[in-house]
Amino acid sequence: MLRYIAFADDLSAWFGKVFAWGVLIMTLGVSYEVVVRYFFRAPTPWAFDLSYMLYGTLFMMAGAYTLSRDGHVRGDFIYRLWQPRTQARLELVLYLVFFFPGVTALIFSGWKYAERSWRYMEVSSNSPAGVPIFQFKAVIVAAGILLFLQGIAQVFRCIICIRTGEWVKAAEDVEELDKVLLEAKSLDVLKEGAAELPPGLAQPHEENNGETR
Amino acid sequence: APAVLAQSPVTIKMQTSWPASDIWMDFARQYIERVEKMSGGRVKFELLPAGAVVGAFQVLDAVNDGVIDAAHTVPVYWYGKHKAASLFGTGPVFGGSATTMLAWFHQGGGKDLYRELTQDIMGLNLYGFYGFPMPAQPFGWFKNPVATVADVNGLKYRTVGLAADLMQNLGLSVAQLPGGEIVPAMERGVIDAFEFNNPSSDIRFGSQDVAKNYILSSYHQASESFEFLFNKDIFDDLPEDLQAILEYGVEAASTANTALAMDNYSSDLAKLQSDHGVTVHRTSKEILDAQLKAWDQIIPTLEADPFMKRVLDSQREWVERVVFYELMNSADLALAYEHYFPGKLKL
Amino acid sequence: MTDAYIAVGMLLILLLAIFLGFPVAFTLMALGVGFGYYAYYDVGRMWRSYDRAVEAGADTFTQVETWLGGFFNNRIFDLFVNQTYSVIQNDVLTAVPLFLFMGYIVERANIVDRLFSTLYIATSRVPGSMAVAALVTCTLFATATGIVGAVVTLMGLLALPAMLKAKYDIRYATGVICAGGTLGILIPPSILLIVYAATSGISVVRMYAGALLPGFLLAGLYLVYVVTRASLQPRLAPRPTKEDIGDHTVPQVALMMLTSFVPLAVLILAVLGAILFGFATPSEAAAIGALGGLVLAAAYRALTWQRLKESIYLTARTSAMVCWLFVGSATFASVFAYLGGQQLISDFVTGLDMSPLMFLIMAQIIIFILGWPLEWTEIIVIFIPIFIPLLPHFDIDPLFFGILVAVNLQTAFLSPPMAMSAYYLKGVSPSHVRLTDIFLGMLPYMAIVILCMVIMYLFPDSIVFWLPNAIYGG
Ligand code: NA
Ligand code: NA
Repeated sequence: MLRYIAFADDLSAWFGKVFAWGVLIMTLGVSYEVVVRYFFRAPTPWAFDLSYMLYGTLFMMAGAYTLSRDGHVRGDFIYRLWQPRTQARLELVLYLVFFFPGVTALIFSGWKYAERSWRYMEVSSNSPAGVPIFQFKAVIVAAGILLFLQGIAQVFRCIICIRTGEWVKAAEDVEELDKVLLEAKSLDVLKEGAAELPPGLAQPHEENNGETR
Repeated sequence: APAVLAQSPVTIKMQTSWPASDIWMDFARQYIERVEKMSGGRVKFELLPAGAVVGAFQVLDAVNDGVIDAAHTVPVYWYGKHKAASLFGTGPVFGGSATTMLAWFHQGGGKDLYRELTQDIMGLNLYGFYGFPMPAQPFGWFKNPVATVADVNGLKYRTVGLAADLMQNLGLSVAQLPGGEIVPAMERGVIDAFEFNNPSSDIRFGSQDVAKNYILSSYHQASESFEFLFNKDIFDDLPEDLQAILEYGVEAASTANTALAMDNYSSDLAKLQSDHGVTVHRTSKEILDAQLKAWDQIIPTLEADPFMKRVLDSQREWVERVVFYELMNSADLALAYEHYFPGKLKL
Repeated sequence: MTDAYIAVGMLLILLLAIFLGFPVAFTLMALGVGFGYYAYYDVGRMWRSYDRAVEAGADTFTQVETWLGGFFNNRIFDLFVNQTYSVIQNDVLTAVPLFLFMGYIVERANIVDRLFSTLYIATSRVPGSMAVAALVTCTLFATATGIVGAVVTLMGLLALPAMLKAKYDIRYATGVICAGGTLGILIPPSILLIVYAATSGISVVRMYAGALLPGFLLAGLYLVYVVTRASLQPRLAPRPTKEDIGDHTVPQVALMMLTSFVPLAVLILAVLGAILFGFATPSEAAAIGALGGLVLAAAYRALTWQRLKESIYLTARTSAMVCWLFVGSATFASVFAYLGGQQLISDFVTGLDMSPLMFLIMAQIIIFILGWPLEWTEIIVIFIPIFIPLLPHFDIDPLFFGILVAVNLQTAFLSPPMAMSAYYLKGVSPSHVRLTDIFLGMLPYMAIVILCMVIMYLFPDSIVFWLPNAIYGG
C-alpha cells in the first residue's frame, strides 16, 4: 500500500506540475496579445482560446496533485480536533460514499462527451483561427482518471492510519510561504532562498519534478 | 418496464440560446403558445433562457444527450463541430434573402442535406427544424461613420462564426469576446465596433450607450433562421399527431415571429434614432462589394470539403433560378415608399 | 415530502458533510450527482433502449446489457459533464491562476522588509509610526499578492519583533498586522472579488471599481484608529529615538521609497488602471501583472529558478483548490434549483415580510457567522448563490451586496475561534505573545469593519457606486 501511495503521489504531482507551467505560457501569451493589440492594432485570433484552455487544463490536471497534498479546502474546525484514527475511519467511508461515485461519473460521462468532440475534431467558434478544442474536452476524462487513482491512494492512507493511528504524509513538496515560515520561523528562508532551508524542511529533490523527466 | 406516455401531458424542456431579457425569448414563446394550443394541452413546454441548464453554445450537445429535450437556437452556434453548420443560415450570400434560403431548406434540397449532416456525418441523436427567416443583420455599431474599406481597415471588431472569417478578409481585426463583455469592451476601447443582431436585441443590450452610428445592411449574416432542435428519442416516442404539431408548429410560428419582428425591430430602430441620438446609415456599396470579394476568398476553402461543396452548389443552383424570378418580378418598393413618404430613405 | 424539501435535505446534508471535514469540492460533487440522479430519474428514459431491444427481438445478452445500461441512462451524468465544461472554459475564472501567480512571485520578491523599513523611517514623526508603517506595508503587499497567510506571517517575522523591541503594546502591535494583512482580499485586484463575480454574474470590472473606495475607506479607518490610539495613549507606541531609525536625509528617504514603495505601487496601479480604464480585460491585466511581478522579482535579484518553480506549483494547487469548488458547486446548485430548493427558500424568506434593511442585516449576520468556521472560498461559492436570487425582491443591488460581503468577510479572518490571521501570526510570534492577546488586539478592527459597513450602507452612492458609475455610466 505504501508503494502504491508513493506511486500515486508521484504520478499526480508529475501531471499537476507539468500542466502548472501553463500559467507561464498564459502569462506570456496573454501579455503578447495585449501588446500587439494596443501597439500594432493586430489582436491575435488565438489568445482568448489559449487562455481559458490553459486555465482549465491547469486546474483540472492539478486536482489530483492538490488532493495528494491535502490542498482541497475542508471545513476542518471539528475534524482537526479528532484523533487521526477517528478522522481516518470517517474519511474512508466518505471516500467510498462521496468521492468515488462522483469521480467515476466524471470519467464516464466525460468520456461520452469528449469522444463525440474528437469524432468531429471540434474547433472553437470564437475566432476564424479554428483553434482545436476536442483535446480540451478530453481533459475532463484525464483529470477524472488521475483523481480516481489518487483516491485509491487516499483510501490506502485511511486504512494505514486506522491500523497505525498515524497519517502517511505526502512527499516533501513546495509549501505555502506561511507554512514554510512557520516551521523555519525565520525570514532567512526568503533571503537565502528555500534551497537553504534547515534539514528536514528542504524542498523536494529536483529529480522528482515533472519538467526534468 | 412499460412506457408511460399515453395520457398525461408531455412536458418538453426547451432551452434557448438567448438571455432571459432578449426579444427572441418572446419569439420562442410564440412557438410554445401555438403548439400547446394546437395539441389541446397534450404538450406542455418549460422554456428556459441560456445558461439555465447549459450555456448558449452548448445546447446542441445538451439536446443530443437529452439534458434538455429541445432547444431554440441558431446553427452558427455549433459550427465549431462542423463548419457546414454555418451554411444553414450564415453562409455566403449569392443573392437570396433569408426567405429565399428558408425556401431552399424546405423545397430546394436543404432539408435532406441538413439531415445528412446531422444524422449521417455527425451521428447526432436529434432532429432540427427551421423557421423565421430573419431580416439581414446590420453591419453593426461604430463610433464613427464608415464609408470606405479604408475606414474599416484595422478596426477592432467583434463578431462570431463564419462572419469572423469574412470580416478578417475585409481587413478588420476580429476580436473574440463573449456576449456580456461587448458593451464594457466598447466603453473601454478594447474594441472599436461590433455587430450583434437586430434593433430590438441591440437596444436591450445597451449598444446605443457605447456607439452612435448604426450601420444597416450587410452580407455577413443575411440569410439566417432559427433552428429548433429536438432530442430524437423524445421526439420518436411521441404519437404521430404530436410529432406533426411540433414540426408544423415551427412553420406557424415563423409567420408570427415575422410579424413580431417587423413591429418591434422597426419601432426600436425609430426609438434608437429619436430617443438615443443614434444615426442610422446604410453600408456603402464599396464595403458591400468588398464583402462579396471577401466571400470569394472564403468559398474555395469551404468547398475543399466535398459535403460543403454539395451544399453550396445546391444553394447556388436554387438562388440562380429563384432569385432571378424574385428580383425580376418584385415591384420597386423603394420607389413607392419614396412616393408616399418622400425624403426619408437614405439608400 | 415534496422535492423542495428534499432539496433542503440536500443542503442540510451538505452542511453536515462540510463539518465532517471532507474536502468540500468532492462533497458538493457527490451530493449534486447523487440528488441529481433522483431529480432527473425518468422511468421512460431508463427503459427506452430496453423496450426497443425487446420489441426488436434482441438476444438475451443484449437485453441484459440494455437493461443494465438503463440504470446509467440518467440526464444528471450529462448535465454534470456539461456543467464541468462550463467551469473549465469560464472566461472570468481564467484570471484566478494569473493573479495567484503574480501573488506568489511578488511574495518571493524580497520586497517586504525593504518596504517596511523604508515606510517606518518615512513615517517616523507620526504617532505609532511603526504600526502605521506595518499597516501600509500590509495593505500594499496584501493588495499585490492577495495571499493573507503569507502577508501576516511575513509581517509577524519582520514588523512584530521590531515593534516589540520598541516596547509597543502586544495587542496594539498584533492587531494591526492581522487586520492589515487581511485587507488584500478586499482591495482589488482580489481573487475573492473575481470568485464573487463568477458566482453572481456581475462584471469583474464593475466589482473592482466598486470595491476600490470601500477598500481604501477601511484601510483609512484602520489608519485613523492606529494613529488616534497612539496619540491618546502614547505608552502603547513609544516614539522612536534617533538611534532607532538612524539619520536619514530627505533625498535618502525619497530614494528608498523610490526603490521599495514605488515599484510595487506602480505594479498595482498598472494592473488596476489597465482594468478600470479599459486597456485590458481582468484576465489580461492579471497576465500583465504576473509579467510585471516577474520583472520586479528579477530587479530585486530574487527571481531564481527555484522560486519560479515554487510559484508555479503553488499556483496550480491553489487554483485547483478554488476552481474544483466550482466544479462541485455548479452541479450542486443546478440540482438544488431544479428540485425547487431555491424557490422554497425564496418563498420562505419573502414570506417573512422583512424590510430590505432587515434582510440585509440578516444576510450579513449569517455570512458573518459562517465566517467563523468556514473559509471565504466556501462561503462565496456555496452560500452566495442562495442569497443572490433573493436580492431583486428586496431591491438590493448585487454589486453592493457583494462588496458588503467582501468587507464582512474581513471578519472571517479576524473572528475567534477560527481567526486564521491570528493563527498565522501566533505561529511565528515569540512565545510570550499569547493567542488571547492577538484575539483581543483584533477586536477593535472587527468593530471598525462593522463601522465601515454601516458607512457604506448610509452612503452607498458616494462610496460604492460612485466610481463604477463615473467610469462606466449608470
Ligand atoms: Na488584492
Ligand atoms: Na473566522
